[in-house]
Amino acid sequence: MTREVEVAAETSSGAALMRVSSGKISRLMDLLGELSLSVSETVNSPDLSGLELTSFDAAVHRLTMLVREVQDAATELRLVSVDEVFRRLRRMIREMERETGKQIELVVEGSDTLVDKLVSDRLYDPLLHVLRNSADHGLEPPDEREATGKSRRGRITLSASQVGSEVRIVVADDGRGLNRDKILKKARERGFFGPEEEPDPSALWKVIFEPGFSTADSVSTLSGRGVGMDVLNTTMNDLRGRIIVDSAAGEGTRVALHIPVSLAFLDCIILRQGQRLFAVPVEDIREIVKPQAAGSLRIAAENGSEVMLLRESYVPVCRLERFYRDTGAEMRPLSEMVAIVFSTDSGLIAVPVDEVLDRQQVVMKPLLGALSGIRASWGCALLGTGEVAVVLDCERLAPGGER
Amino acid sequence: MTELLAEKTAAPMDPHLSVDESDNIDDMYLTFAVAGEDYGVTIGVVTEIVGMQRIMLVPDVPHFIKGVINLRGKVIPLMDVRLRFGIPEKEYDERTVVIVLDLGEAPIGLIVDAVSEVLEIPAENIDQASSFRSSDRQSVVRGLGRIGERVAILLDERVLVSDVDVAIPETLKA
Repeated sequence: MTREVEVAAETSSGAALMRVSSGKISRLMDLLGELSLSVSETVNSPDLSGLELTSFDAAVHRLTMLVREVQDAATELRLVSVDEVFRRLRRMIREMERETGKQIELVVEGSDTLVDKLVSDRLYDPLLHVLRNSADHGLEPPDEREATGKSRRGRITLSASQVGSEVRIVVADDGRGLNRDKILKKARERGFFGPEEEPDPSALWKVIFEPGFSTADSVSTLSGRGVGMDVLNTTMNDLRGRIIVDSAAGEGTRVALHIPVSLAFLDCIILRQGQRLFAVPVEDIREIVKPQAAGSLRIAAENGSEVMLLRESYVPVCRLERFYRDTGAEMRPLSEMVAIVFSTDSGLIAVPVDEVLDRQQVVMKPLLGALSGIRASWGCALLGTGEVAVVLDCERLAPGGER
Repeated sequence: MTELLAEKTAAPMDPHLSVDESDNIDDMYLTFAVAGEDYGVTIGVVTEIVGMQRIMLVPDVPHFIKGVINLRGKVIPLMDVRLRFGIPEKEYDERTVVIVLDLGEAPIGLIVDAVSEVLEIPAENIDQASSFRSSDRQSVVRGLGRIGERVAILLDERVLVSDVDVAIPETLKA
């Protein structure tokens, strides 16, 4: 609804749009982060403890709501539609047609979807590589398509949509699909899987994004050098995004990029484990459970790893104190802890913590310098209390996710 | 939680503090004390000096990184300079301060026993540290600055904040 208003304003007077440098907006975002920290500092001041504060509390409530709204409004300032990126990509399709000798129909959907300007600025290169992959490896030459009863013209769908606080960008083609045998053979050669291992499709398809992995027999100017996928990986990492690949032989391949709409604020649950604070994005959490003593197992043969009974099945347990080699921490029994269950690409995992503290919008800061070695983390979260928590990436906490 | 609630003496430092206009900033050093020795870093990389604040622990950092602080919305890792030099830790007190450096990539805070003063040490008064350099280690000492009777050990800030193994030459410890 608000978008309609914007559009109306745009058409009624050409002067309704203003150009503002992104530096100024960043400054505003930083100040807002500090403002919200400063508000919580004031509200949680120890000087206030024990005082009767009826009207103060009401005022605090209004203030907090306002700060939240201002944050949302500021976040919106940075949102732009993906249209411009999609248009640039559409132009590249013509070139791909020329180079491959294939006929390609590009269907674009949801180009009015909004993303953070920082995200949109970095989408072009990775998407170009996914598109090139589809054009080069996915789509068959016209004659081959005709022989299998498809139209001569290959179709690639480029779509964007918002689901919750995520934007999903999908590149789907109706080509030959990924070649399981070829990819598996190559993946085994590279040592991603054992010679006898039969990985799940989703785990197998993921390897095509590993650095240097390319199954193209000949290196064309378009793709097959395995370089493009590195760009994709790096960008998705920086943007806290995930790549999901799906493919059916003869029917095509679908590559979905799931990216948070805004990089500025993150809706998190705050956890305490030992003396450390962690934050996890709310949407990553499947459920929070109290482990039962009877349902917890320790497998000595597996290096002392633990599993936990969740309803009907056992879920691997990832202890943060073990993962982060916190030698000083005592290993408490699972039944005394709270388990956060995450759904990852390699299945469910349970992360036990001492305490679940709070849910809050946090400001995230990248891991730089001395902090760049922190594993399985997106960054540091500044909490309303002024404390700092490490934002966990549950995918990389999962077994094998750390590759 | 490591509660280190010393006075929050957040006093942003003006690098030109008590510096005459004609002085060359390249020759200015902020000196501080660690285990009874005087050390110095070039003033150009110092952004501010703050009191000790509550440190939040983080995983996967070298042992000399004690954790991080939130300094007005910036996450700053803190290095205990004693631990960095292999000197036993000492409990933080009211003189303990954090010197925040910005070397371009990321800010870092140095936990030192106490700050002393800003000194001008012209290049000709600095003895090069090449004689302390051993072959297998990069020296964290840039040189020795002579100020009258006193000597300040001038540090190479880039080596200091890197991960490389450093040690203070035995000759200096004595």
